[in-house]
Amino acid sequence: MSLLLQSIVLGVLLGGLYALLAAGLTLYFGVMRVVMIAHSAFLILAAYLAWYFTTSTGLDPLLSLVVTVPLFFGIGVLMQRLLLSRLRPATLTMMSVLLTFSIALVIEGMLGFVFTGTQRRIRLDYGAASFEVFGANVAVVKLIAFALAAVSLLGLYVLLKKTQFGQALRATIQHPEAARLVGINTDRVAGYGFGLGLATAAIGGTALALDSTIYPSLHWHWIGPLMAIIVVGGLGSIPGAAIAALVLGLGQSLLQIPLGTTWAQTFFYAALFLTLMVRPQGFFGGRLAQRF
Amino acid sequence: MKSRSTTFVRLTALAAAATLALTGCMSSGSSGNEGSDDDGAIQIGISLPLTGDFSEPGKGVQRGYEAWASYVNENGGLLGRDVELTILDDQSNADRVAADYEKLINQDGVDLVFGPFSTRLVVPAAQVAQDYGFLFVEPAGAAEEVFTQGFENLFYAAPAVADDHYNHLAEHLESLPDDQRPKTAAFAAMDDPFAMGTAYGLKDKLEAMGVEIVVDEVYPPNTTDFGSIAAKIADSKADIVVGGTQYQDAVNLIVALQQLNYQPEMAAFSTAPTNPEFPEAIGDKTEGILSPTGYTPDASYESNQEFVDYYTELNGNPPAEDEANAWTTGQVVAAAVEAVGCADPDPECQQQLIDWLRGNEVDTVVGPLTWDEAGRPQGAHLIQQYVDGAIRIVLPEEAAEADLILDKPAW
Repeated sequence: MSLLLQSIVLGVLLGGLYALLAAGLTLYFGVMRVVMIAHSAFLILAAYLAWYFTTSTGLDPLLSLVVTVPLFFGIGVLMQRLLLSRLRPATLTMMSVLLTFSIALVIEGMLGFVFTGTQRRIRLDYGAASFEVFGANVAVVKLIAFALAAVSLLGLYVLLKKTQFGQALRATIQHPEAARLVGINTDRVAGYGFGLGLATAAIGGTALALDSTIYPSLHWHWIGPLMAIIVVGGLGSIPGAAIAALVLGLGQSLLQIPLGTTWAQTFFYAALFLTLMVRPQGFFGGRLAQRF
Repeated sequence: MKSRSTTFVRLTALAAAATLALTGCMSSGSSGNEGSDDDGAIQIGISLPLTGDFSEPGKGVQRGYEAWASYVNENGGLLGRDVELTILDDQSNADRVAADYEKLINQDGVDLVFGPFSTRLVVPAAQVAQDYGFLFVEPAGAAEEVFTQGFENLFYAAPAVADDHYNHLAEHLESLPDDQRPKTAAFAAMDDPFAMGTAYGLKDKLEAMGVEIVVDEVYPPNTTDFGSIAAKIADSKADIVVGGTQYQDAVNLIVALQQLNYQPEMAAFSTAPTNPEFPEAIGDKTEGILSPTGYTPDASYESNQEFVDYYTELNGNPPAEDEANAWTTGQVVAAAVEAVGCADPDPECQQQLIDWLRGNEVDTVVGPLTWDEAGRPQGAHLIQQYVDGAIRIVLPEEAAEADLILDKPAW
């Protein structure tokens, strides 16, 4: 019983992290049909920056967010304006895969060059700390990552639903030409949308670095599961990605008990195949990219 | 009909031209070398995982090889000739590694090859070397499947194969009175021939002693979350936990176990604890963690002190196991080359080197090495443990620097 409860707690916490890591991916696709293979590479870049910040200043890695979030937002805007907006709309989705694939390789190579291939981990005083709730242990770092996910996703949701910028972004997603007609600068909005996605990568990468050993090629292990999450959740849907992440995280954690790790991990891909067969638009999104 | 035959002629001509060009490249590659063979440097070809999953140990092996080469060159070279290393990056990819050795032997015309890092890369690399009749001494393919492929040219330059890494620990546990022996054990191993080999070698011996295996988890190398595996182990309350691990999974698993407040009486993990980054990652919670190791800088073997001094001066820190295994590889090949008196790609010379190693013992920084027919070294690993914050040899007793802590302090 306690193993079941423990697995549920671990699964929910893991799902929260997955949701944060996948949020940006679904946003890029929603905003401009860009398949962003480099998203997980940016996660690892943020994780490295957090590690570097902590080892060189001795301060808590969470403080690095003050720098990395605006930095990543800026990189995102520039990337969209300088690179992605130049791709031809007809082949955008396919070409964006190639373009961002090469960006991922550049980031990986750069990380290896600057920080070497040595595997790094942020040593935190509270890294192994936990507290007990009804017999299940809740690790402090996992809870912090979950809280970061909850706050960022909620913030993103509110931003998209309640602000003028959010309205403009949603209009751009739903009908770019109509949006232009009513005076929205869709290029600028798309750039900000992309920047927003990358800003979530800064937060996600930092959350990841709290509880993970990092190395330059780690991003290849993440991109597959994250892609699966946003497809199952419905491309372009933030709540969809969040729900899919929680369901898949929890499923993985619970299936681990009877099936073992290897089969529990294939759960992601089984869910991906099932989604593509039964409901290609995703289980939690409605019509593609019409909702947040 | 006419146009079809024209196409055929063109294609044939193209193929012929390509073949000629290719053979031209090959022969120019090797003849260029032959010309400079007598007085030129001995070319040694190596492919290593300098990027990708195994880049961390791969770079350690690279440092060891480079230190060995510069040491040899400073001390008169091999057969009076300098040695020169050509190191390619296989990106931890088994397809790449085979192509790399093809290129090194075929195009670059190297005189000798050294092995790469990790069982998964050693097997395809050794196959290429075997096809060309090359001697293949390798620093890091310890899993049993390396030695069951029928390689006749392979030698593992370390004290013991993976299955025997924990032998001293198993023997010690067996020597304890019944009431002090662990009753239950939990195993978690990466789905990797080396990592699994180390853990399962011990698992078989514990089972034979009557220890109950309560958790037996195998996880894929790309596993990023260890919470669930740790939950299973913590729930089992096993007396001892054994990880068949590489670096990052060991660190992540240990922290996950600590987060669940699981306190085993004994905890043993392959590879990671002997890595200098390990205490940096885990902090002050390393006390009592066990690990098998094939090398320690403090070992009293004749050439070891010189190696440690030379390496430390070159790199600013003492060598770790990967560096030592690479250096050992160099020592083994050098011993054969000096004894036989040749170092060239000619199959006859390579066969002489192989035959010499089959029948002789080589003194190295990890002790004297001999091999069985399949290339398995005939020794056992030392067992190290974190005692008072430093990693020390605790088994076997004749080599021990500190007493084994049987009841691991809480982590």
